[in-house]
Amino acid sequence: MHSPVAPGLCDPKTSSSSTKLLISRQRMGTDNSQSARPCGRRAWGGRPGPPATPPSHRRRAGARGRGRRRGGARGSLGPAPVTCHRPPRGGGGSGAVRAPRAARTQGLGAPTPAPPLPWPAGNMSGRARARARGRAPGPGATEVGRPSAAPSPTSVDTGDKEASSSSGFVGTSRVSQQCEDGISSGDAGCTFIERGGKIRRDVMDLGICTREKLAHVRDCKRGSSGVPVKLVTNLFSLDLPQNWQLYQYHVAYVPELESRRLRIALLYSHAEFSNKAKAFDGTILFLSQKLEDKVTELSSETSKGETVKMTITLIMELPASSPICIQVLNIIFKKIFKKLAMYQIGRNFYKPSEPVEIPQHKLSLWPGFAISVSQFESRLQFTADVSYKVLRNETVLEFMTGICQQTGMSCFAQMCEKQLLGLIVLTRYNNKTYRIDDIDWSVKPTHTFQKQDGTEITYVDYYKQQYDITLSDLNQPVLVSLLKSKRNDNTEARMAHLIPELCFITGLTRQATTDFQLMKVVAEKTRLSPLGRQQCLARLADDIQRNKYARFELETWGLHFGCQMSLTGRVLPSEKILMQDHVCQPVSAAEWSKDMRNCKILSARPLNKWLIICSNRDKNVAEDFLHCLRRAGSSMGFNVDYPKNIKVQENPAAFLSALQKHVDPDVQLVMCILPSNQKSYYDSIKKYLNSFCPVPSQCALTRTLNKQQMMMSIATRIAMQMACKLGGELWAVEIPLKSLMVVGIDVCKDDFSKDMVVVGFVASINPRITRWFSRCILQRTTTDVADCLKVFMTGALNKWYKHNHGLPARIVVYRHGVGDGQLKTLIEYEVPQLLSSVTEASSNISPKLSVIVVRKKCTPRFFTETDRSVQNPPLGTVVDSEATRPEWYDFYLISRAACRGTVSPTHYNVIYDDNGLKPDHMQRLTFKLCHLYYNWPGLISIPAPCQYAHKLTFLVAQSIHKEPSLELSNSLFYL
Amino acid sequence: MEETTREWCSSMVDNCEEVPTKEVIEFRPPLYKQRYFFVKNLVQQHKPKKVADLGFGDILNRLVLKDPFYVFCRSNLSPSVGDYLVPRDLDLTITLYRGSAVQKDSRLVGFDLMTCIELIEHLDSEDLAKFPEVVFGYYSPRIIIISTPNSEFNPLFPASTFRHLDHKFEWNRIQFQTWASDVANLYDYSVEFTGVGSPPAGAEHVGYCTQIGVFQKNEAKATESCISTPEEHVYETVNPCFQVLVDEIFFLQVFTTAYPSLQEKKNLLLVLSAEVLRASNSMRLRFIVDPKKKKVNGRLVPEDSCVPRYGLIVTDAQRAQIESSPKPYCVGKKFYVPLERLITFPKVNRLVDSVERLRSLLSEALKLNRDQSALQVDLHDHYSRTMLSY
Repeated sequence: MHSPVAPGLCDPKTSSSSTKLLISRQRMGTDNSQSARPCGRRAWGGRPGPPATPPSHRRRAGARGRGRRRGGARGSLGPAPVTCHRPPRGGGGSGAVRAPRAARTQGLGAPTPAPPLPWPAGNMSGRARARARGRAPGPGATEVGRPSAAPSPTSVDTGDKEASSSSGFVGTSRVSQQCEDGISSGDAGCTFIERGGKIRRDVMDLGICTREKLAHVRDCKRGSSGVPVKLVTNLFSLDLPQNWQLYQYHVAYVPELESRRLRIALLYSHAEFSNKAKAFDGTILFLSQKLEDKVTELSSETSKGETVKMTITLIMELPASSPICIQVLNIIFKKIFKKLAMYQIGRNFYKPSEPVEIPQHKLSLWPGFAISVSQFESRLQFTADVSYKVLRNETVLEFMTGICQQTGMSCFAQMCEKQLLGLIVLTRYNNKTYRIDDIDWSVKPTHTFQKQDGTEITYVDYYKQQYDITLSDLNQPVLVSLLKSKRNDNTEARMAHLIPELCFITGLTRQATTDFQLMKVVAEKTRLSPLGRQQCLARLADDIQRNKYARFELETWGLHFGCQMSLTGRVLPSEKILMQDHVCQPVSAAEWSKDMRNCKILSARPLNKWLIICSNRDKNVAEDFLHCLRRAGSSMGFNVDYPKNIKVQENPAAFLSALQKHVDPDVQLVMCILPSNQKSYYDSIKKYLNSFCPVPSQCALTRTLNKQQMMMSIATRIAMQMACKLGGELWAVEIPLKSLMVVGIDVCKDDFSKDMVVVGFVASINPRITRWFSRCILQRTTTDVADCLKVFMTGALNKWYKHNHGLPARIVVYRHGVGDGQLKTLIEYEVPQLLSSVTEASSNISPKLSVIVVRKKCTPRFFTETDRSVQNPPLGTVVDSEATRPEWYDFYLISRAACRGTVSPTHYNVIYDDNGLKPDHMQRLTFKLCHLYYNWPGLISIPAPCQYAHKLTFLVAQSIHKEPSLELSNSLFYL
Repeated sequence: MEETTREWCSSMVDNCEEVPTKEVIEFRPPLYKQRYFFVKNLVQQHKPKKVADLGFGDILNRLVLKDPFYVFCRSNLSPSVGDYLVPRDLDLTITLYRGSAVQKDSRLVGFDLMTCIELIEHLDSEDLAKFPEVVFGYYSPRIIIISTPNSEFNPLFPASTFRHLDHKFEWNRIQFQTWASDVANLYDYSVEFTGVGSPPAGAEHVGYCTQIGVFQKNEAKATESCISTPEEHVYETVNPCFQVLVDEIFFLQVFTTAYPSLQEKKNLLLVLSAEVLRASNSMRLRFIVDPKKKKVNGRLVPEDSCVPRYGLIVTDAQRAQIESSPKPYCVGKKFYVPLERLITFPKVNRLVDSVERLRSLLSEALKLNRDQSALQVDLHDHYSRTMLSY
């Protein structure tokens, strides 16, 4: 799932305009891509592990009860409308019930309760109300008087009823290091696939076999060019005896027993099972050794003297490679990690005993690992990647108090929602994690809700009785979390109400991720060199092998935890950069700005009629800059004339009115020199110039332009951007395929309204792949699946036809922004859209199509070993064996440089391929495309069309919130 | 203060009075919780340093850690993520033993409080005879709590047998009180009787469902018992089950876990910095929006008292105290809050008691001014730069 706010080192606003980015990049020495992140996103986890949402189309549709705007009948996707349960409101209904503030108690030595804030009343205003309305049941959804989810488990055995909104099996109780615990929660804590239908979403993707349909790679998907390089990975082989099988049994009890614990205890008390490796959730039993009979009958006596008959029936024999088996192996490793004194948060495991504290930001980082077991090319592998969990000593209530102090009451509610929605909170009383989906300002702790047994109770009393917790602020609102249903019935969306005072924020808030200082400290603390990472992995392997419980567990299952796998990759030959009259072979593919100094860019339109708008104070800055810009422009063959200079007052409104007054359709470009990086300047300017009055615009900060010693390089970069925005071409690489169109697609969520997604589509319109056609649309759906691809593709083909008088022979589409578990939807829904527009485009020979899913987030890591140390592999390293998946036509490519951290490879999965390009050619083409991002003179981590699409969606999602005008679609106006 | 006691994990199945659907009489809160609350209140009253809980477990015995602030009951003894996020005030160590309540073990000597909740009725007559000598005579804690079913209440239940299959006896009030008084006399304890689980209206004469005896050691001896050093607060839970089921899967061995607490410096530092930053942040924001400032010796001092409007303070007395402390000030782009002001904030004050201690702690985590009298923060941080612009 693609996050609209990439927690990078750069302020998103900063990175919106690459001029500013340049500065931060140079100062920080970070990598080259737009959202430069040394250690990948999980390093400071915006969320625990991968996004904690269930397969989103079902839940979202259910939760919001919205109709979907999706054309065409598509049976596989059509979600049944799901009823949404508004929790019953107590007493005052939706009105603001101001309860007396009497119930405050202050025990001796107890922490002082925070005094109540002047909370906004339940009758909220404006957007908040609209939001609440938007979430009310949609047409066809009825409000059922079913009890709302109790905010927390109401009895001991709710463990399996209470769905935690975090991912995986988090909802289950933790196994302690106390060994006896193993019998109940350890095994019972899991819902197996058959019962819950809850397959981990990344596992779900693995079941999609795309390779078998691609005849040309069925036998071999390996490339050939390049220099072989030996690589160490973070994969550990898991060896199983030959013919190892997993036996799945169903266990029935007569009489029926409610308590899962009792069911487990009764079964385990049989001597027959005591020494066997087993996983049992109360119904489904997995054994590594077959029982003698197909049906085994046992009986046990409960402590009450009741005789219970158990019938154990063999259902299936599963080979080691089956998805169910892999899931069971994952469960076994979870047990092992708990034995290693690690805490599960989300899907990952963390060590609280060695925290990294950052007191100045109230943060505590727990080191840990993201782990998984899965089937790689030839064998089962255990993957571990170092991960840090950000924990905060701050409750949601304290956080809200902070917001209140900062913003005052006027936009308090709005600000709270902006900051809090989507965050994962931890409730200390039951140690569970929830995702905040909404804030209900109309419900107070003094209101009542219905418990599962049907009785009404106030939140205050509930927490007092259940957990002996006294709430200090009786006017705080409640947080709403949608619970995932563990059972596979998609009829009910349950909600949990949580009290802000009792919820701890985990991860970083959006505000925090834009804080340069904070992110810098976090990055410093979490960034691991390849060597450091390798040492962590070695220590983990050592811990697993030394721990006697871990060893025991592995042995009884017949598993052997092997050594770290190494494999051979290839380093692709470096590419030449083609300039107008010069071919340069960069010294380093990571950055070639020095190599192309004084080279002319491929083509540029002269800039004759343009404006510079700056504040009165920045007059001199603008003049100095203009001088440099003209110099830089002329050296690259880009003629910049003198602009009209407009001086305005220092506020966003003044800038906007200047634009309205002076910009007319003849103006080629508007440059704004912004006095501060307040988002409102940038947003209002971009919004106006991208959709209302379509003129390319260039923003730069005064602060940036004040840096005298860097002035020339800044001016050069801005000149390049301006040239691109006018439709110019900077450089090219050699593309052996003639008549090839490449397309990049990215999808991300709108920053304003979470049920809008922004789809960006960028296609090359010349064989040289230097000119681009860019479209973007906002689409009302919460699945990250694009609806409008047919229109976009047809538009792009028309453009191509106009420029080249024919259709492209081949089309290669790179799709970015795909979340876990969406592969199937992509194949069934997006690929047909693209195909239909391609086939309809021509009556005789239609272009051949390939679709490649690009993912920056993947678990494998690769290192090269050099005399007793490890390093990042060289740029252009391709891995297409061992660490890839047997059912996919996939490969990894390292196309970006990491100065200090560990580089993460980009994963490419070819899901559709009519072109029948040799794997080698596909890999090399992909590598070539990583050179073509005009905002950075160097390699980037994903192919340029994807990065363009990403930049476009980011601009729209963050600033414009509207479709940019079609008139701009022929230039890279969003750079 | 803290305490530990134990939950019958199997109670849902074993103790019929806790399965409301099958019961005519329903206790709210459930009876087992009422017993916890009872023990908990007693612990809060007497503040013992070491608590032992002798329990009986048939298959699954679990402990319940009752933390006065957050955790009420859970099936897991190890500290949770939340326990790390909000460290306890005092250290807590839990140790789980497996053994017999009628065999002396020197590790259990020197405790302040011992609880035997629903234990004695599981002892056969031989063990019951040995029990007082071991617990009262040998362990001899300051306070002992013994609870047992009151058989007079049983007719109100549908089943006419004992409440649990393993019960060797269920006493009426006179039987229990006689036994308890005899034991108390013998070992120089005084005993008071009470109970939990009030009878329904009309049946008040049967007394509580669970009867409880609270034994206190008579004063003369009490002084010897407190042996813990003042800094060390060790709580110990002992859970000897005398019906040992030999079964490898339970691994019933000694188990120890220590909880993170504010006694550890790194925990204290993190919590303290968070509170100090919250306090200084609230004042800083007041300072920024407050138009009236004057320049005194190069310092920009607010005319307003800079006391936060919301949060952090509860009472007028606290507000007055903050107002009378030195004001924060600004030099250039830095904002300074005197430590003497910070320490007046209740939540800061709760953590450290003197300015000297505050200074020595903060100097390790945050930035202080040159003479170490005030905390230094940026006047405009990232948040105020971006958020105030909305």
